Amino acid sequence: MSPQLPPPTDEERAPITGSWPRLYALVLALLAGWITVFYLFSVRYAPGP
Amino acid sequence: MRTVDWAVLIVSLLGIVGYGLYRSRGSRTTSEYLLAGKTMRWWVIGLSIMATQASAITFIGTTGQGYADGMRFVQFYFGLPIAMVLISLYAAPRFHSSGVYTAYEFLEKRYDSKTRTLASWVFLLQRGLGVGLALYAPAVVMAVILDWDESRTIAVMGLLVVTYTAAGGIKAVMWTDAQQMIVMMLGLVAALFAAVLGLPEGVGFGGALELAGAAGKLQAVDLEFDPNSRYNLWSGLIGGTFLALAYFGTDQSQVQRYLTAESITQSRFSLLFNGIVKVPLQFVILLTGAMVFVFFLFTEPPMLFHGAAADEVRSARGAEFARVESDYEEAYEQRRVAALDGARNGNMAPYLAADQRLQAARGRAIGLAEEATGETYNDTNYIFLTFVINHLPPGLVGLIIAAVFAAAMSTISAELNSLATATVIDHYSRYVKPGAGDGHYRNVAIGATVFWGLYATIFAGYGAQFGSLIEAVNRVGSWFYGAMLGAFMLAFAPWKSNGNGVFVGILAGLAAAMATELYTDVAFLWFNVIGCLTTVTVGLLLSRGRA
Repeated sequence: MSPQLPPPTDEERAPITGSWPRLYALVLALLAGWITVFYLFSVRYAPGP
Repeated sequence: MRTVDWAVLIVSLLGIVGYGLYRSRGSRTTSEYLLAGKTMRWWVIGLSIMATQASAITFIGTTGQGYADGMRFVQFYFGLPIAMVLISLYAAPRFHSSGVYTAYEFLEKRYDSKTRTLASWVFLLQRGLGVGLALYAPAVVMAVILDWDESRTIAVMGLLVVTYTAAGGIKAVMWTDAQQMIVMMLGLVAALFAAVLGLPEGVGFGGALELAGAAGKLQAVDLEFDPNSRYNLWSGLIGGTFLALAYFGTDQSQVQRYLTAESITQSRFSLLFNGIVKVPLQFVILLTGAMVFVFFLFTEPPMLFHGAAADEVRSARGAEFARVESDYEEAYEQRRVAALDGARNGNMAPYLAADQRLQAARGRAIGLAEEATGETYNDTNYIFLTFVINHLPPGLVGLIIAAVFAAAMSTISAELNSLATATVIDHYSRYVKPGAGDGHYRNVAIGATVFWGLYATIFAGYGAQFGSLIEAVNRVGSWFYGAMLGAFMLAFAPWKSNGNGVFVGILAGLAAAMATELYTDVAFLWFNVIGCLTTVTVGLLLSRGRA
């Protein structure tokens, strides 16, 4: 048996509410932003003379 | 290295270790020793997660990759933020609320002991060999570049890591990780500035980007879908998401980090912090490599960055090597003049022609090196440190060597700590001595940390002899990754699944990933997708009506 840990808190049982969905959307929007910037960067500094 | 570099290196390392031990004082219970008593804040966990992932070879190899292959490797990380959101949504709260010490313990709570034991053994096997390699690989590079004794470097690094990991437990590991990550970032930014400031008059950062871009070093995004190409947008987004889900969501060395959070909110913040910072950070690392490439347009780089291999060819095939070297030097001089002209006037054609000639001469030298040594030649890991040692000012060299040590130690300490946790929680307390007192498990965890540390140090000491074994086990381990992810997906999902179905599903996922590598040309990032989907499908089919 594993050593005992404290029981889960109410917060750990709570569903995803409040500002979390906005925070997740922000992380994904930042990723989309970086990909766009890197793509434009690749086009601007394309290989060749 | 000069005295000031030694001073910076020693003060940085001892400072980091001392601070980590200071913060970890009073870890008296098993929960405090292995999970920091669930008291950690998001930013420490976030930095620790990043430091654990960034090994010394990641640090020096990625910059080398930016130099040699350009920036397309950044696409490998595109799936990471998506994985962080999914883990934060589904995995982190479940791990927290189930009150587990290890990710595999969760599998027993959800299914049965055999599924947990299989998953934990896969982890011990894979990480057990990985930890030796994490110690051995940077020691080899340091030995060649700094002329240090390989065994002594392994022994010093191993002793330092084992001391603070065993003495302070996970708190020491995470506080040192956070400091080590800061040192790594400082070292990188300093190297980037040094490369740009070292350019000749008339070539600024803009000109450097033009030169690197013309040579194909700034191609960060490839939109073409090709399952056989190693890095493109799609393999990064899809394959990268599965790989990051498997690593951060099922590997104890990462799961244990966010299990230490004082609340689920702190745990989620730490994961999202990693999701936000990782992609731009990798971009900066690769850009540093590309700027080192531009720096070496105006300062002659060695024809072969692996000095010992170059010496071997020189003594075995002296006359041929001298001819290639003279051609290389002539091509370098042509390229230097043409690059200067290209940066100032925008005429890139002569610079690219000279670069091709130089690369052809280097290709001939690599051929000679492979014939002389009888081994495949790859000097990617030697490029960045050659630049650091030979061209950076005193003090900065010490800082960057400290950053390489920091990168190695942060990965090794996290691996030792998680190996000890899986050993004690999944095997010792489960099968060998269940129901013992808390103090007993804490002491066994300290012993297990020392054991894994000594094992890693001894294994790394014989690294050269075990090279092919390490490679083989790493390969088998990578086949398991998708299957592990599939098992955890089934465990978290609301669908009906049972232990027998998932156990067979893991083995089927392993077989599918193995067959994909052995019988197709599909790039490695897709193995996890195939392994995971096979495990989920087989697991669900065999569990039908018997959840």
